[in-house]
Amino acid sequence: MNLVAAQKGSRKKRVSDTAAMSAPAYPPPYNPYASAVPGNMPPNMNMYDGRYVLPPPYTASPDYSRIHPSFPPADQGFSIPSQFLNEPLVANVAMQYGQALVGSGKQLVGQELEKYVPFSRIKYYFAVDTRYVTKKLGLLFFPFTHSDWSLRYEQDGPVQPRYEINAPDLYIPTMAYVTYVLVAGLVLGMQDRFTPEVLSIQASTALAWTVFEIIVELITMYITNIQTNLKTLDLIAYGGYKYVGIIFAVLLSILFHKTGYFIGLIYCSMSLIFFLVRTLKVQILPIGTSPSHHDPYMHNSGNKRRMYLLLFVAGIQPFLMWWLSFHLISPPVPKS
Amino acid sequence: MAFTLWNLLEATLLCLNAVCILHEERFLVKMGWGANQNIQGFGEQPSVRSQVFNLVRSIRTVMRSKYLSILCY
Repeated sequence: MNLVAAQKGSRKKRVSDTAAMSAPAYPPPYNPYASAVPGNMPPNMNMYDGRYVLPPPYTASPDYSRIHPSFPPADQGFSIPSQFLNEPLVANVAMQYGQALVGSGKQLVGQELEKYVPFSRIKYYFAVDTRYVTKKLGLLFFPFTHSDWSLRYEQDGPVQPRYEINAPDLYIPTMAYVTYVLVAGLVLGMQDRFTPEVLSIQASTALAWTVFEIIVELITMYITNIQTNLKTLDLIAYGGYKYVGIIFAVLLSILFHKTGYFIGLIYCSMSLIFFLVRTLKVQILPIGTSPSHHDPYMHNSGNKRRMYLLLFVAGIQPFLMWWLSFHLISPPVPKS
Repeated sequence: MAFTLWNLLEATLLCLNAVCILHEERFLVKMGWGANQNIQGFGEQPSVRSQVFNLVRSIRTVMRSKYLSILCY
């Protein structure tokens, strides 16, 4: 708003100054030192900073040199018609060229980053809405009545989590992880064990265990040569669902101390194991209805390996849930 | 119990180092774990042992490659 006001003020000044300075007053983009988007920066020639846009391409400067020697005399009023004809075209071309350069630069940077962190894949996992989140949380706590665990597929990947309740997402695990760190701080504060370093230690520990679990799962899948549709991000998602159970158990421990904690932990472990087994069964174990599609070289031992992998993934969750939270519960000792 | 990211990094580094320094000729072949010793037919599913050896071999190749050694110096 200040810029617009300054521009209006300066425009007023320039209109009155055209009589004296004889530089073209209308419109401001004639000034090659102005930004590519007209009207954003005051057309003040001293204020050239390259903050918003690339420096103007060379097509603009010859025009300026053309303008410069041919200043219209003071009493000629508006502008020389030849300048007026050339300016909008050149300004438009300059603007488009600048914008094209910025666009291609952005694209290049995006491509380079994509090799290391797959941003476009991650966007899929965050395409959730409120209905999905509530249903999924309900499913995590009570998966026993859900009947259809299959996953609908689009052309190359599963349907977005917004439309498919059984699809994994990364929103719930991320939020649950952050909430876990906060709840850990809260619980430790209630026991007078809180220091600010504890928060970072908790966050780092939980993250390290998650990374370790995923590395173990990936190496296991490589060594046993199991071909699944599970990607690394899927594994991160399934590994992050345990934080919801941990939060629930720790919150119970605030009210009911050790018994509440263990009850909450056991119940959440049961439901999480059930949830994971039913969800991953679809993806890891081969579907027995289409034997003709199978690789003719696949042995029956593949089934056993897959079953062991499934049981390992599901069985490590309660252990990790206990390991990450048992130090947070308060002993039922009365404070004197 | 404070198994932080730093500890994980340290443990990973030590494990990778252990994988690298296992000398193939002197040690693994004698124990029957050499990389040339179990050649399988094409169509069979590779056994767990061969996958482990492939993994060890590839880790060793990557860690000993020229690019990584340039990074160190």
